[in-house]
Amino acid sequence: MKIPLLLLQAGIAVLAAPLVSGFVRRVKNALRMRQGAALVQPYRNIAKYMRKEEVVSETASWIFRWTPSVVLGSTLAALMFVPVFSFSLSAAGMGDVLSLFFLFSLGRFFLALAGLDAGSAFGGMGSSREMFIASFVEPAAVLAVAVVAAHSSSSAAEPLVRSMGMSFSGMIAAASLFMVVLAETSRIPVDNQETHLELTMIHEAMLLEYSGPSLAMLETAAHAKQLIWFSLLGAILWPWPIGSSSGLSAVACAAFFVLKIILCAIVVGLTEIGLAKMRLFRVTDFLGLAFLFSVLALVVSGLGY
Amino acid sequence: MTLFLLTGIMILTYAMLVCHRIPALIQNFRLQSLFLFLVTLDFAVRQKEAGVFVVAGLLLLVKVILIPSFLNHLVKKIRVDERLGLFLNPLLSLIAALFLTWGAAVFCAWLVSDSPAVVFAAFVVSITVVLVGFFIMVFRMKALTQIVGLLVMENGIFLLASSIAGGMPFFVEIVIAFDVFVCAIITGIFMYRINKVFTHIEVHRLTDLKG
Repeated sequence: MKIPLLLLQAGIAVLAAPLVSGFVRRVKNALRMRQGAALVQPYRNIAKYMRKEEVVSETASWIFRWTPSVVLGSTLAALMFVPVFSFSLSAAGMGDVLSLFFLFSLGRFFLALAGLDAGSAFGGMGSSREMFIASFVEPAAVLAVAVVAAHSSSSAAEPLVRSMGMSFSGMIAAASLFMVVLAETSRIPVDNQETHLELTMIHEAMLLEYSGPSLAMLETAAHAKQLIWFSLLGAILWPWPIGSSSGLSAVACAAFFVLKIILCAIVVGLTEIGLAKMRLFRVTDFLGLAFLFSVLALVVSGLGY
Repeated sequence: MTLFLLTGIMILTYAMLVCHRIPALIQNFRLQSLFLFLVTLDFAVRQKEAGVFVVAGLLLLVKVILIPSFLNHLVKKIRVDERLGLFLNPLLSLIAALFLTWGAAVFCAWLVSDSPAVVFAAFVVSITVVLVGFFIMVFRMKALTQIVGLLVMENGIFLLASSIAGGMPFFVEIVIAFDVFVCAIITGIFMYRINKVFTHIEVHRLTDLKG
């Protein structure tokens, strides 16, 4: 019974993920007094890519062709590990939150290789930048989650948040994780989703050689990854119970989850409006701050708060 | 909720150390004061005392609106180089601040052991704000940033007083608010003069002989 429900939950989450991106764009455009694209624009983009013909460079190897499947597959697997609608429905028995980061790293590794594989100058640049940023993001993210886990003395996703409640160290860890989310979803202080200017883009530079259904898969994976990060952030920031233990019905859990994601999306949109994109070498300061908050959370957690 | 606001103050305090330019620092100070205002408002709502509301309003007026606007005006008027003159680069400053907070946290855990998380957090955050303000005054080499450092320290002391001791007496708060405002204006005018005489406001060069 559990496995079909798990798959159903992951399926719904993947289908709803582009909606989150669309919503963040709506928030930003509303703040800029612009009309903006419709909420369902990400779906239209994906549908358009699916119809287009795919062009593969002659020099590209199997890595280029397999990468979209690996990235989408690892992201979908990661989706099983986070508490989306309900904690009792996360695949807690199969691994803990750290395996989530390993799955992300797998996708990132293949994407970076694929960026280099097609042999275009921008792809390689994007790969090197992505790895540069990842080397700052990963320690901060792992440490932040480890602090929250240490506070509840377990690293499995299920008891991770249930036993925590609001704590000072949890809040500081959430601040760190928020900065990580901005970097990981290629949002403004680090990257900019709205522009394809070759000299500044990071994530998009790696995808530059992709077209057609492959691009659709990679975009879907990016949307799903964003949803995963938002739900992780939401679970740590507002650790109020979702799941069978609290006696709430499944509908109430889902409604609560949607509320959390909307709040996260609004905060991310506001942050993006309020900041300017940083120079690449200033990003070390930004992500250094994130890592430092993780260490701070560790210190505070060590004192028992 | 209070915990959330306190964490916000903590984040903004650390963000001040990453700033490279004077307007960014002033904007950061404005946001920090806004969060401080929200904490005071929260406190006032729970205490249901008219005096605390007045103090919160005064905080909003003086530290969120008047002083940052005045400092921005000053930056425009003296047309000084916008960079802060960092003695320590941002990452080293952050690590130093981490040690300050660590010390504050250990001290507070010893002082207020077995108290709820909010009390502990308020204590740690306010001591951190005071120490970071001190740090900004020592390690940032423009006279303008020293004013901001002083104001940050004052914010920390205000937070300490209002969250731990239940606020200072009403008249003392009002006098302090005006005191801070007048202090900011006088040092601002002073800086305008320094800039006219020395053509810069870098503190470590003020002792140089002028030919």
